[in-house]
Amino acid sequence: MVAPLQPVLESPREVDVEELEAELSALWRSAAEGASGQRVVTRACALTLLVSVESEDAAWEVSNLIGDVTRQNPCRAIIMASEPLARPGGINAWISAHCHLPVEGEKQVCSEQVAVVARGDSVRALPNVVLPLVIPGLPIYLWWRAPRFEPEPYYEDILRVTDRVLIDSGRFPHPALDLPRLTERAREAGIRMGFSDLNWVRMTPWRELIAQCFDPSELRPYLARVKKVTVEYEKTSPRRSAQEAQAWLLAAWLGSRMNWDPAEPATEASDASRTWIFNSTDGRVEVRLVPREFVGGGEGMCFNITLEAAGDPPARFSLKRGPEGICVTTQCAVEGREPVSRNVRLEVLEEIEVVNDELKYLGRNRVFEQTLAMLGRMAGL
Amino acid sequence: MGLGTEASSVAETALLANPLREGTRVRKTPAPCSIVIFGASGDLTERKLIPALYYLAREHLLPVSFTVTGCAKSPYTTETFREKARQAVQSHLKIPASEAPFLESFAQSLFYISDDFGDVKAYSLLDSMLDRFDRERGTGGNRLFYLATPPSFFPVIVQHLGRAGLAKTRDPEKNWTRIIIEKPFGRDHASAQELNRTVTSVFDEEQVFRIDHYLGKETVQNLLVFRFANGIYEPIWNRRYIDQVQIAVAESLGVENRGAYYEEAGLLRDMIQNHVLQLLSLVAMEPPARFAGTAVRDEKAKVLRAIRPIPPDAVNDLAVRGQYGEGFAGGKKVSAYRSEPKVSPSSVTETYAALKLFIDNWRWADVPFYLRSGKRLAKRVSEITVQFRSVPHLMFRDAIEDIIEPNVMSLRIQPNEGIAVRFGAKLPGPAMRIRPVQMEFRYGESFGAPPPTAYETLLLDCMLGDNTLFNRDDAVELAWELVMPILDRWKNDGERDLAFYEAGSWGPAEADRLLQRDGRRWQRL
Repeated sequence: MVAPLQPVLESPREVDVEELEAELSALWRSAAEGASGQRVVTRACALTLLVSVESEDAAWEVSNLIGDVTRQNPCRAIIMASEPLARPGGINAWISAHCHLPVEGEKQVCSEQVAVVARGDSVRALPNVVLPLVIPGLPIYLWWRAPRFEPEPYYEDILRVTDRVLIDSGRFPHPALDLPRLTERAREAGIRMGFSDLNWVRMTPWRELIAQCFDPSELRPYLARVKKVTVEYEKTSPRRSAQEAQAWLLAAWLGSRMNWDPAEPATEASDASRTWIFNSTDGRVEVRLVPREFVGGGEGMCFNITLEAAGDPPARFSLKRGPEGICVTTQCAVEGREPVSRNVRLEVLEEIEVVNDELKYLGRNRVFEQTLAMLGRMAGL
Repeated sequence: MGLGTEASSVAETALLANPLREGTRVRKTPAPCSIVIFGASGDLTERKLIPALYYLAREHLLPVSFTVTGCAKSPYTTETFREKARQAVQSHLKIPASEAPFLESFAQSLFYISDDFGDVKAYSLLDSMLDRFDRERGTGGNRLFYLATPPSFFPVIVQHLGRAGLAKTRDPEKNWTRIIIEKPFGRDHASAQELNRTVTSVFDEEQVFRIDHYLGKETVQNLLVFRFANGIYEPIWNRRYIDQVQIAVAESLGVENRGAYYEEAGLLRDMIQNHVLQLLSLVAMEPPARFAGTAVRDEKAKVLRAIRPIPPDAVNDLAVRGQYGEGFAGGKKVSAYRSEPKVSPSSVTETYAALKLFIDNWRWADVPFYLRSGKRLAKRVSEITVQFRSVPHLMFRDAIEDIIEPNVMSLRIQPNEGIAVRFGAKLPGPAMRIRPVQMEFRYGESFGAPPPTAYETLLLDCMLGDNTLFNRDDAVELAWELVMPILDRWKNDGERDLAFYEAGSWGPAEADRLLQRDGRRWQRL
């Protein structure tokens, strides 16, 4: 029988900012032994996760998610909240631990969490508080949870030691403006660190399914002969901007993989759809991103992709999200033949699931970087 | 997933030519193919193969165009087979109702032929059906045959596949044809050789995937990563620093409803000849030049070739066999092996075996490898323990009274997969007292996501043409060659020297004496 956790581990305890390291050690000393003197918890750490948020409230919100991160990625999580306009200035810090029981009857596994809230001018001292706390020798991830990735200059020291930044273009209020800005940021970051976009990661299964359509050798030639790509996303969903960003990313991914060359700037129609014309080795390719109403789909669930290719006979490849939400129907239809269809599972991943997945990768993601570069060209940068 | 692929894999090369597959995040999926399962109405198909294939299909790890054709004598129709498959998935994966569309989509890829596959005529129908799938369902001329029948059917099915022209790859530049053969691969050295001859007279060795599901386990694969992706272990992984290696595969269950099979097989055939010797070869092999099928399998075979043969007259000095009697398991009284269903009351079949082996090469000369495996032991655990030599000079000898335990590294395969290192540490206080402490790494604590099952891993590897985790003909024969003197001696000895142990214990005392003679003891598990 495992002894219950000591209260100090469960709820955040405010500590002196100057004594953070010592307080963390004390936290583990007190947790290390149960009432019987028997060791009841194991401290686990595979990385340092820095989380940047815009307010103290946002810090407590993300604090609730960190427990789900530490189950899969044991880490020292440091939540950094900056409120530069708040008065009076100052810095407060809290420590706590997230624990879980991987195997019934075994020891609990705990990861530590530090929350630092900086107000007023003190926001400039954030790196000074945070950097001594990163675990030496382990990767450092920065999860940027603010709506846009526009770090203030005082973040520079933190970015210099960061191995990978996690942003979420799904939170961008204006994807058509904010995504091209991200392109520039990624270019500036250069070889120093990797970039992950959680919204791009959510699209990985879609990219997989599109790629699978062209795995059969007899269908592969159609890829070079694609003439029209249509991506439909939800017009009225609260996640519309996230889906719009995904549609942009998908179009840019196809363009970069296929070496298409944007021939003309995008045209925007009255229904808010955007159309690009690309030049390919086989002629012109039209790519349309279309917001539309979906009937019967779960919220944020609908997303259809169609690729039409010339040839003799021509072919059409489609991926359609079903009303069940987690089901996608893929169809490869060559004119004059029985279409090959199937249903596969495609769950809408929660933010924290995507973060957990991304924390397993280090280094740069070249396909994503090339996609961003193409996106920049599509935006006329 | 296997660790490497051969550069020559046609399907792999073809997939890489798809520019949308660039980048590591898009998972590899095999080329379109038809899977044919012989023994489709059997237990293995229901419990393992169908659930594994469903899982792969649901997670879109299978190609868009794939079919599974079940072949067996049972008078099913395609619809009956589909219904059985739906039930198998429901019962073994406990899927929620929301998965009904995937299950239905998967079921529509299943077909069934009821015929006597001991008769060559049945294969022409199969041939025409596979051709039809290529034309109508885009399966691309790629074929995977899975022999999930009782072993006695293996040779005849292989020969008929050959005669029907189904073993040949249509166009080696574009297609592949592969065959998976379940264990047991032979029941002795001669029958394994004979089966290898039959199989390789029809298929090329590169087409043959001999499955040992143990090798598909995540932790077993991790042995390779542990040894060859970390720089700190390899320099001490040899006779200079290692005193002994122990490999234990213990089961708490008895033979359950497999009494008839077990009477024929016994533990040495069922566990040591395959699983345990596979683990030994992974622990002891030299670093392969690269993580690809041939390189890894070459090194594994070299280890098996270097194991010192056990002469018939030394069997009793180097091997112990036992059989469980009555006892307790999980707090309940359980019967003796001889009282199990379909077991002879005077059976001399071993349910426990322990061996002492030596590997005659530069790395391992004189380092004993102690292997043990058994049914109805105290708990279910598979573990490799590497005990290091004691320090050459103990500077604390005069200052302390404690016995200093040697360092031990434990590689736990199941359950609670992980790695632990035991070392000595000073007890706090003014006196110099040393206690062994344990430093542990557990997969469940560091990586929350559950790994795929062994069958999912191995089926996918086979479709991708990665044979790293499958057995090669020479390794199978070498393993049989090694155990044959023991099997022969035990057969001749009848009940003599068969040690009985209480169910729920750690095996017979004779096994303890095997190590005590060397001044050693089994590691506590």
